[in-house]
Amino acid sequence: MVSTELIIKIGQILVFPGFLFLIFYALFAEWVDRKFFARLQNRIGPLHTGWKGILQPLADLIKLLAKEDITPEAADSVVFATVPIILFAIPLTVMFMVPIIGPKAYISFEGDLIVILFLFTLTVLSVFMAGWGSLNRFGTVGGLRTSLQMLSYEIPMGVAAVGPAILAKSLSLSGIVAWQGRSMSLFLENPTEFSLALGIAKASVLALGFGIFTICMLAELEKVPFDIPEAETEIVGGWQVEYSGKKLALLRLGGDIKLVAASALMTSLFLGGPLGPWPIPPALWFLLKTILCVMIISNLRALFARYRIDQMINWMWKNLVPLSLLYILAIELMAVLM
Amino acid sequence: MIHFSTGGCNGCDIELVAALTPRFDIERFGALLKGSPRHADVLLVTGAVTRQVRDRLIRIYEQMPEPKFVVAIGSCAISGGVFQGCYNVTGVDNALPVDAYIPGCPPKPEAIIDGIVKLLKKLGY
Repeated sequence: MVSTELIIKIGQILVFPGFLFLIFYALFAEWVDRKFFARLQNRIGPLHTGWKGILQPLADLIKLLAKEDITPEAADSVVFATVPIILFAIPLTVMFMVPIIGPKAYISFEGDLIVILFLFTLTVLSVFMAGWGSLNRFGTVGGLRTSLQMLSYEIPMGVAAVGPAILAKSLSLSGIVAWQGRSMSLFLENPTEFSLALGIAKASVLALGFGIFTICMLAELEKVPFDIPEAETEIVGGWQVEYSGKKLALLRLGGDIKLVAASALMTSLFLGGPLGPWPIPPALWFLLKTILCVMIISNLRALFARYRIDQMINWMWKNLVPLSLLYILAIELMAVLM
Repeated sequence: MIHFSTGGCNGCDIELVAALTPRFDIERFGALLKGSPRHADVLLVTGAVTRQVRDRLIRIYEQMPEPKFVVAIGSCAISGGVFQGCYNVTGVDNALPVDAYIPGCPPKPEAIIDGIVKLLKKLGY
């Protein structure tokens, strides 16, 4: 008995919903992102590798793994080699705290939301180390820009993520997802006018939070309106400039998993995670919702042009931070009413 | 892919950029224009290589990780074109091992895509 349980546990870690599933799902998400982005620009996108180019991200990954791995002479080789591994490991760790196959995540404890936010901050620090360690002018500038960017989006991101936590009275992601399911079924049992009005008010305030969180996730993922740290047209590749071969492959895969992790966070904080009406199983609901979030992100990516770093920080501090404070005020009011 | 202009009239450069746009879209074959030579596999050279730019071209080539390929785009890059025999023109062939030549002045985007696909076929893709 114990050994079968152990095998199931190990299988969960390694295959589903663990490493193997996450890596392939991340590659799939990159394909969705690229294809959708290309269609929005009236292009076709990857086409000839597999069915409609679905294998393109995997082909890119294998190609990069086979390529020469250059470490510049001037670079700090230890930092230079460690950062890709860290940037690959952190989003994977985050994904284990996100509920995928049921309302409970694989690792879940009171306060894991704070751990996740901390891990996201840690990625920024490692990106800065990557830029600094490669000792390239462009890399250093890119790393500095990343940390500057973090100063402006970190606060609205934390505040937006804490909103559902206040309403759910739980600082764990699984608790928040469970609360979302619970409040829905409570409402269906006893639909009064007051609870309907409160529900609509809650939903609209949380929609605002979703908007704020999405903007911050765009900045976290370094996607187009905020891709200032890796701006290819001005500072070449930003902090990634010196990376090649296996390390670049790890960085790209890590970036894809980060895309999935960000959309998984958006899903579980605001869209009810893997919960949904019965005929579709929870894991499929989770996939549908995260793909929707990926599409939102690539839509915004196609819609905007890059901001300058000072414009972005200005805009974030003058508009997004007050907006998020207003949002948290409304949430508090709602919590008192409940 | 990385694009390096070695001092031509920009005709080939414009046609190359057109190959990335909605009408032609070279991403269908999985090719993207990258900013850093470290991220690139294919070096696209346009323009007649002048003495001034030759060292820089070689330096960019050396920054790319193995395996790497060079594509010469346009008459100037292939033979010097109208600048053939000019005192300051050396040509790509004297600087780098070229894997594919795309003739034309300037070559159409279709021709550039065809050349890149032929290079991919040569690699067994």
